[in-house]
Amino acid sequence: MKLFTQMTKVALFAASLSFVGTSVAAEPMDLDSLLKTLEEGKSAQSVQNKQREQEFAARQNEQVQMLKNTQAKRNQMLVESERLETQFEENEIKLANLTDTLSKRMGSLKELFGVLQQVAGDSSNKFATSVVSAEIAGRSTFMDELAQKMGSTSKLASIEDIEKVWFELQREMTEQGKVSRFNTDVIVQGGEKAQQEVVRVGAFNLISNGKYLEFNPVTNTLSELNRQPVARFTATADELQNTKNGVVQFALDPTGGSILGLLVQAPDTQERVHQGGTVGYVILGVGVIALLISFERFFSLMVMGGKIRRQLKDDVARDDNPLGRVMKVKDQFPDVAHDTLELKLSEAILREMPKVTRNLTLIKIISVVAPLLGLLGTVTGMINTFQAITLFGTGDPKLMAGGISQALVTTVLGLVVAIPTVFLYTLLNTRAKNILLTIQEQSAGIIAQRSEKGA
Amino acid sequence: MVLLIDSINAIRDFLDTGGQVLLVIGVLIFAMWLLILERFIYFFKGFRSYKQNVKAQWKNRAERNSWNAEQIRQAMISRAGMRLNTNLALINVMVALCPLLGLLGTVTGMIEVFDVMAITGTGSARSMASGVSKATIPTMAGMVGALSGVFASTFLQRRAKREVELLEDNMVLDH
Repeated sequence: MKLFTQMTKVALFAASLSFVGTSVAAEPMDLDSLLKTLEEGKSAQSVQNKQREQEFAARQNEQVQMLKNTQAKRNQMLVESERLETQFEENEIKLANLTDTLSKRMGSLKELFGVLQQVAGDSSNKFATSVVSAEIAGRSTFMDELAQKMGSTSKLASIEDIEKVWFELQREMTEQGKVSRFNTDVIVQGGEKAQQEVVRVGAFNLISNGKYLEFNPVTNTLSELNRQPVARFTATADELQNTKNGVVQFALDPTGGSILGLLVQAPDTQERVHQGGTVGYVILGVGVIALLISFERFFSLMVMGGKIRRQLKDDVARDDNPLGRVMKVKDQFPDVAHDTLELKLSEAILREMPKVTRNLTLIKIISVVAPLLGLLGTVTGMINTFQAITLFGTGDPKLMAGGISQALVTTVLGLVVAIPTVFLYTLLNTRAKNILLTIQEQSAGIIAQRSEKGA
Repeated sequence: MVLLIDSINAIRDFLDTGGQVLLVIGVLIFAMWLLILERFIYFFKGFRSYKQNVKAQWKNRAERNSWNAEQIRQAMISRAGMRLNTNLALINVMVALCPLLGLLGTVTGMIEVFDVMAITGTGSARSMASGVSKATIPTMAGMVGALSGVFASTFLQRRAKREVELLEDNMVLDH
């Protein structure tokens, strides 16, 4: 009934609304006519409401029937659910019994499958990285699948699977002892692919055209190492490829490629020199200067020495060499006393000295300065290293490597420049000293001998 | 023959573990000892006859008193000294260079060690070992070269000096 009163209220409100609406649209009415209209409306509504009430009463019977139907359906469902529940419990017991029986029947086989799973996993890894996979592909996928299959509880390995694992292991073992040839795609230097004959030496090395190859297990490709080992090792690789039978010496990498892999990452001489940085270039520049001066000195001293040797055999003093020029002093002053002659001689020798020893001091200075510059480079390199440590800490040695290699490379460059320079300096100095000795001590002797002969 | 091949292989292995610097040191020590041996042979063989010759020349002179005679004597002694001192400076420098080359080997070996560290980290002592052997073997070889050479070169220098002095004493001026 409450609902009903509410509905009437709503209807009233709607009527007043419609009235307001019409009052705006139509002409204004007076309050009496409004009241009249309301009264009429009320009576009309009460008629309508009565009619509705009757309708609801008529429908009530129908509702009762519907409720009954639904209740019957529910009861039926309850019965069904109870039945299914009991069946589920029964099944559970049955399953437990069956699992029990399974594990009982499997017995020691269970351990076998565990071992099988482990072996499959291990050999999958081993096969993936083994160079034998370059020749026989797709072995690790089978092993992977088997390991996964054994990992799930519901699946069992078939006899074929077990036999295949045995076969693959045996094959890997057999292939390790073989030197075999096959044709395959090789990524040569420059990134192009080429079909080449590849020789596989056990599970250790792959070579082609006298070059060592690298096997990439991820992309399953073969590529030439872009830095090959020294010639006498690659020569054996070439020999191995070209031989048809018999015994050949071969340089083998027993680590299966990791030593050869390190070779690629090691920088070559040129890269090393660049690691030295500015100080390194300065040292090299100084070294080049020393070398050029040494060559110039070497040749001029050689020419000078040759002329002096010729002068020693010849009696006539010549103008083209220091000894000759000193000896000419005697001809210039034929009648002076011995003491005066000696003074004149030493004067002439003093004049010749700078020509013989020219630039030698510079070479000596460079030979001393080069290791000092190396030390300078070492210190600047260490400063770089410590800066890296301040910024990143000591955790990663790779970050410190730049500074350390600069420190060491400059030391090396300093020594590399200093050692030959010291050597050259000694060589040149001995030559110059000998020439000076010849001039100093022998010019007087030669003059004395000649004057005796003349007398 | 097998023994020869074996020893060649052993030397080759040794040079491989020591690196290129070891080869340079080897060549240097070899050249140094060649020069030293040449000097020894000259001191005990060749120089004797030369000394006798010079002494006889001086003895046979008519007069050994004038300015001329003194200058000629000086020139003779200086020539003998030059003969005695040939290559001695070179030998000395070679002795001094041996430890320097050893140091060079040490540094190049250390560079290799640090390269390995930069690539693989500090974990792998085995891959660092080749660099360490390249650092230590040349140092040792340089030391051996220097020690073996230093005695010989000192002996040669003292001997040369004494020979010149003896010659001076033997060739007296008349007064």
